[in-house]
Amino acid sequence: MKKSKIALGVFLVGALTAAVGCGSGTSGSGGNGTGANGGGSSTNSSTKQTITFLHWRGEDVPTFNKIISEFEQKNPNITVQMQVIPSDQYIAQAQANLTGSHGADVFTSFPGAEFTAIAKAGLYTDLSGQAFIQDYNSNLLGSGQQDGKQLAVPYQVVFNMPVYNQDLFSKLGLQPPTDWNGFLQLCQKLKANGDTPIVFAGKVSAGQFFNDMVMNNVPDPKVFTGLLDGSSKLTDSGFLKTFQQLSELAKKGYFQNGPLGTSQDAATAIFAQGKSGMLALGSYQITPVNKDNNSAFKMGLMAPITTDSPDQAKYVGIDTTTFMLGVNAKSQHKAAAEKFIDFLSQPDIAAEYANGTSQMVTVKNVNYTDPALKAMEPELTKALRFQPMYTLTNQQVVDAVTNTVEDVISGTDPTAAAEKGQKAIDQALSQK
Amino acid sequence: MKTKKSIYLFMIPGGLLFLVFFAVPTIYGLSLSFTNWDGLSNGFKWVGFSNYVNLFTNDTTFHQAVGNTLKFVVSVVIIQSFFSLVFALILLRNTKVNVFLRTLYFFPTILASVSVAFIWTFIYDPNIGILNAVLKIVGLGHLAHAWIGDPTMVIYSLAMAEIWAHTGQLLIIYLAGLQQIPVEMNEVARIEGASRWQIFWKVTWPLLTPATTIVVAYTTIQSFRAFDLVYAMTNGGPGSSSEILATYIYHQAFQYNHVGYASAVAMIFMVVIAIITMLQFGILRFRKSA
Amino acid sequence: MRWLRIPLVWIYALLILIPVAVVIESSFKSLVDLYANPLWPSSGLTTGAYHTLTSEVPLLHYFVNSAEVTVAALVMVLLFGAMISYAILRLPRVLGYVVYGVFSVGMMIPTQVNMIPVYLEMTKLNLVDTLGGLILVEAAFLMPVSVFIIGGFMRTMSRELLEAATVDGANEWQIFWRIATPLSLPSVASTAIFGGVIVWNDLLFPLLLTKSNTNRTIPLALLSFTGEYQTNYPVIFAGVLLSSIPMVVLYVFLQRYFIAGMTAGAVKG
Repeated sequence: MKKSKIALGVFLVGALTAAVGCGSGTSGSGGNGTGANGGGSSTNSSTKQTITFLHWRGEDVPTFNKIISEFEQKNPNITVQMQVIPSDQYIAQAQANLTGSHGADVFTSFPGAEFTAIAKAGLYTDLSGQAFIQDYNSNLLGSGQQDGKQLAVPYQVVFNMPVYNQDLFSKLGLQPPTDWNGFLQLCQKLKANGDTPIVFAGKVSAGQFFNDMVMNNVPDPKVFTGLLDGSSKLTDSGFLKTFQQLSELAKKGYFQNGPLGTSQDAATAIFAQGKSGMLALGSYQITPVNKDNNSAFKMGLMAPITTDSPDQAKYVGIDTTTFMLGVNAKSQHKAAAEKFIDFLSQPDIAAEYANGTSQMVTVKNVNYTDPALKAMEPELTKALRFQPMYTLTNQQVVDAVTNTVEDVISGTDPTAAAEKGQKAIDQALSQK
Repeated sequence: MKTKKSIYLFMIPGGLLFLVFFAVPTIYGLSLSFTNWDGLSNGFKWVGFSNYVNLFTNDTTFHQAVGNTLKFVVSVVIIQSFFSLVFALILLRNTKVNVFLRTLYFFPTILASVSVAFIWTFIYDPNIGILNAVLKIVGLGHLAHAWIGDPTMVIYSLAMAEIWAHTGQLLIIYLAGLQQIPVEMNEVARIEGASRWQIFWKVTWPLLTPATTIVVAYTTIQSFRAFDLVYAMTNGGPGSSSEILATYIYHQAFQYNHVGYASAVAMIFMVVIAIITMLQFGILRFRKSA
Repeated sequence: MRWLRIPLVWIYALLILIPVAVVIESSFKSLVDLYANPLWPSSGLTTGAYHTLTSEVPLLHYFVNSAEVTVAALVMVLLFGAMISYAILRLPRVLGYVVYGVFSVGMMIPTQVNMIPVYLEMTKLNLVDTLGGLILVEAAFLMPVSVFIIGGFMRTMSRELLEAATVDGANEWQIFWRIATPLSLPSVASTAIFGGVIVWNDLLFPLLLTKSNTNRTIPLALLSFTGEYQTNYPVIFAGVLLSSIPMVVLYVFLQRYFIAGMTAGAVKG
C-alpha cells in the first residue's frame, strides 16, 4: 500500500510537471517555425516591445504581413504580432481576449452593438487628440465616435447595395430604376427573360438587403433608432411597408429558388454564372465574383428604390464604415499601438492595403489602382445613408428585425411577422 | 468487500486536474447566472433569481429553443443509436472489408466541423445541391426542398447532418460492448437450438445494456451540445426556427452581451440533460433486471 | 437477413463515400471550379491547394504542436480516467455513484459558459500561450468523457475476479494495472479515439489560449484561409484531409483492440 502511494505521488507530480514543462520548452525553442507567417517572432531584448494586433480578416493576411514588416523596419523597437480570428468566431474570442489583463493591444471591432458594448465597458483608449485622425475623411469617422470622443477609427468603407450585372442589363436594355414600380418592372423583365432577378444569400442577405429596402421608407434616422427605446415599432407604417414590399418580391418569385437555404458562397456562384440580375449582398462581393468565379461581366451597385416617385427618395444607397481600429485601454504599450495605427493611416500605406485587398478605405487622398475600387470611388459622393442596422446598438433588436425579414420571405404575412418581431423587441428591451 | 483507504489515492491526479482546470472555472461561470455581467465590464451586480424568472415567464425565444432542441435530440438519439447498433452487429468481425467499412463510417467524425457544415450546406443547396438533383433524377422531384431554408424542415435537416457525422463514432462503443460478451453464452444458446433472432434478444441485447446506456446517454449529451454544426450551417435561422439551446446560450453571451443570462440558460440546460440522462439510466437498468 | 444487410451497409457506405469523395476532389480543384463545375473541373485537377497550404503556413511545425498536445492530453486522460473509474468500482456504492455523477455532469456543461472563466484563470496562472497550459485544459475537459465511458464499462466487471486478486495478496495498484485495465482495453481504446479526435480538431481552446505562431495547432493554421467574404475551400479541404491522416492511423491502429471475431457467431447471419 505504501508503495502504491509513493508511486502515485511520483506519477502525479511527474505527469503535471511534464505537461507544463514540455509546453514551455516548446514555446522557447520553436521560434524558427514561424517565418512563413511573418510577424510572429518573439525576441525579448529589454528595449523591444511586442504589440498584438487582433482582427478578423483572413483574406488580408498577406497584405498585412507586408505592411507589418515595413512598419517593423521603420520602428525596430516594435514587433507586431498579428492574430487573426475569422468573423464567425471573432466576437466570442475577442470578448474573452479583452476581458483578460493581457489582451490584444490593437484590436478591430464592428460598428453598432459590438462597439457600444466595448465602449460601455471602458475598453477603448480615447484617440480624439491623435494627429492621425486628420488623415481620415471626417464624415466617415462617425461609427467610431461616442459622446464626442473618437474611441475607434473605422478603416474600411463598404457599400451594402446589391451588385448588378451591367452586361445583362444592357443586353436587355434595362436601367437601374428610380422608383418602386420601375423596380418591379425590372424584376419582371429579368424573370420573363428566364433570369433570376435577385439572388439572395440566406443568413447574410436578410440583414443587408433590408437596409436598402428601408432607407427611404423610414428616412428619419431617429425614427429608425426609435426601435431601441420603444418610441417606434416594427408595426409602424414605414417598417410595415418595407415588409410588404419584401413579401411582394418573394410572392412574385423574384428571388431564386429557396433564398433562405442558399449559402453566401453558393449565391455568389449562382450570380457569377451570369444568369441573374442582382446579388443581394454588397460591394465586398464584387472581388469574390470576379476572382473566385472568373466572371467576365461588368458589375455595378444599385439599391432598390421603394418610393412611388423618384423625388420622394432621399437616399440612393447604403454605406458602412467598419473594421474599426482601437487601442485596448488595458494595453501596456499604448504608444507603440498608436504608432501602428498612425502608420496604417498614412495615405500610401492605406493605398497599399486598399489595392492589396480590394477594400475601399476611409483614409483621405488614397490613390486607388485596383479597377474595382476605381469604379466604386464615385459612390462616395452620392446621397448615401449609413447602414441603419448598425445604428441599432442592441444586437437583440437587430436579430429581431432580421428574423422578421426571414419570416416574411418564408411566406409569413407581413403584418403578423411584424407583430411577432415587435414582441421579440419588447422582450429584448425589458431584459435591459 | 471492504473499501481500502488507498483507493482514494486513485482519484487524486484526475480529480485535481478536473477540479483546477474544469470544475473551478465552470462553477464560477455558472454562478454568474445570478448576476447581470455583460462579459466585458469590470463589475457586475447580483440579481438573485431574476434571470431565471425572466427565462420562464417572458422569453419566447427560449421556449422555442427548448422545443427545437428536443426535436433535434429525439431524432438524433433514436436514429443514431439504432444505426450504430445495426452496423456494429453487421461489421463485428475483423474481416478486411469490415475494417475498411468501419474506418469509412468513422471518417466523418474526424472531419473538422467546418468541412461537415460545408458538405451539408452544399448537399442541401436548393439550386446547385446534390440532394435535390438526385431526387429529380429518381423521379421524386416533387420532394425537392430548400432543406435548411424551410422553417418547418430545417431542424430535421440539421439532425441528418449530425447523424451522418457521428454514427460511426458510436458504433465503436457498441463494438467495445459486443466484445465483452463471453463467447460461451452464445455457444450455449446455439447448442440449445435458439434461432439467431432469439439469441440476439435473449442473450446479446441484455448483455449489451452497459453499451446501450453509454451510447444513448452520450448521443443525448452530444446532440444537446451540437453547437458547431448548427452555428455554421444556419446560426439558428431562418428566423429562429433552428435556434437550439446551445446557439441561444452563445447568442445571449456573446452577441447580446448577457453573460449572466446565458449562464442561467446553461444551468437549466445542464439540469435538463442530467434529468434525461438519469431517466435513461433508470429505464435501461430496470429493463435489465426485469 | 443477408439479403437485407449487405445492401444496407453499402448504401450507407455510399452516403459517406460520395460527400467525402467530393471533398477529396475539391481539394484538387481551383476555387473557380469549385462551384462553377461541381462535377469535373474544366481546367483539370491541380495540386495548387496543397502547394498554397504547405508554402504559406509552417504546417510541419503546427503538426508537431498538435501531436504533442493530443498525445500528452490523451496519456493523462486515459490513465487518470481509468484510475478514477477503478476507484468508482471499489468505493462504497453510493459514493461511487456520486463520483460517476459529478464527472458525467461535467459533460453537460456548454463550453460557452466556462470559456471566459478558463481564460481568466489561465491568465492568472500565467499559462496563456504555452502548450503546457493548453494540454492541461484539454485534458481537464476530456476527463468527464473518459470517466463516463471507461467507468461505464468497468462497472460491469466481475467483482469476484477482483475479490480473488485481493485474497491472493495483490495491492490496489497491481489489481488496477494487471487486471482491471487489461480487461477494459476496448473501452480505453474507444475513449482514446473519442478524445483523440476531440483534441486534434479542437478550435476553441487553441484559439483562446495560444497567441504566438510558435504555439499554434493545425486547426488554427487553416483559419487564415477562412475569409470574411470569401473562403478558400480547396485549401481548407486539403488541410483537413492532410490533418485527418494521423486520426485515421490512430483509428486503424486501435482497431486491433476490437478483436470481436470470437463472438461473431452470435449475430452471424
